[in-house]
Amino acid sequence: MATNPMHQFNVYRIGPEIKISNIDISFTNASLFMAISSLAILILLNLGTKKNSLIPNKIQLIAELSYGFVSKMISDTAGSKAKPYFSFIFSLFMFVLFCNMFGMIPYAFTVTSHIIVTFVLAAFIFIAVTIIGFIKHGFGYLKLFVPSGVPIILLPLIVIIEIISYLSRPISLSVRLFANMMAGHTMMKVFGGFVISLGIVGGWLPLSFSVALTGLEILVAFLQAYVFAILTCIYLNDALNLHH
Amino acid sequence: MSKDQFKTRLEIAKNKILKRSKISRQSSSSKLGIAFKMSTEMVAAVVVGTIIGFILDNWFGTKPWLILIFFFVGVIAGILNVVRSAKSIQDKE
Repeated sequence: MATNPMHQFNVYRIGPEIKISNIDISFTNASLFMAISSLAILILLNLGTKKNSLIPNKIQLIAELSYGFVSKMISDTAGSKAKPYFSFIFSLFMFVLFCNMFGMIPYAFTVTSHIIVTFVLAAFIFIAVTIIGFIKHGFGYLKLFVPSGVPIILLPLIVIIEIISYLSRPISLSVRLFANMMAGHTMMKVFGGFVISLGIVGGWLPLSFSVALTGLEILVAFLQAYVFAILTCIYLNDALNLHH
Repeated sequence: MSKDQFKTRLEIAKNKILKRSKISRQSSSSKLGIAFKMSTEMVAAVVVGTIIGFILDNWFGTKPWLILIFFFVGVIAGILNVVRSAKSIQDKE
């Protein structure tokens, strides 16, 4: 058993090495767990919507609950204009949630504990929201960077500040998810290591910590998926209803 | 007479419950989410500002100056981000 707490984040190849020119696109454990979470979502929602009984069974209840949860979240934060983007936000929320939750299974790999995964998601959201903003408002979208009622002398500085603030969105979005997942899983591993090294005499205290941390991590896994989705809604709201 | 009194008291009680449930609903998960948002917002803006300063420095060859300026601009942008998200919470209430 590896005692290094960072060992769990190693990405390794499964199966043959696949290379296109210089880019390594082999199947790794990260891709495996992404595929597992996507498949799990598909299976859950397929089973949940197969027979639409008036009195739902458990799987249908889960599917309906998650649908209602995301739907309410979108209408609360971004209003009715954001309804067409429901499918995007729903799949985003479910994907992040399932990746986080599958990471909680012992010996599983947490996909979202890698910054590149969360950053790609955040960058995709950022680019999509920017394009939506320009489609909806044309060049009027640039008004987002020019707040009203600012003296002309201060304007260049304000515009630079606003642009930096806008560009910081994908970074804050991705770093938050990645840092929370990585820190939590490292901490769990460290406490697990304490249990082994302190043995049967002193190992009970870190063991109880470990149990409490597992509960906390499950909460964080859900909460971070929620925050990720709700911030997407907020950014979408900025793009759809220009108000500054 | 006493029936009317009862009705008004019922209305008042109902309003109180409604208000309380509204407050408790807001203070649950969505507020925790906003707290998470605040913490990284500040750092991210500083990082972006510094990166922009670094790139511009490499372009124009003005090594230490633009990175210094953009670092502080990034700090200002971070504070602005935090103030803005705090304001949006205040508006909701």
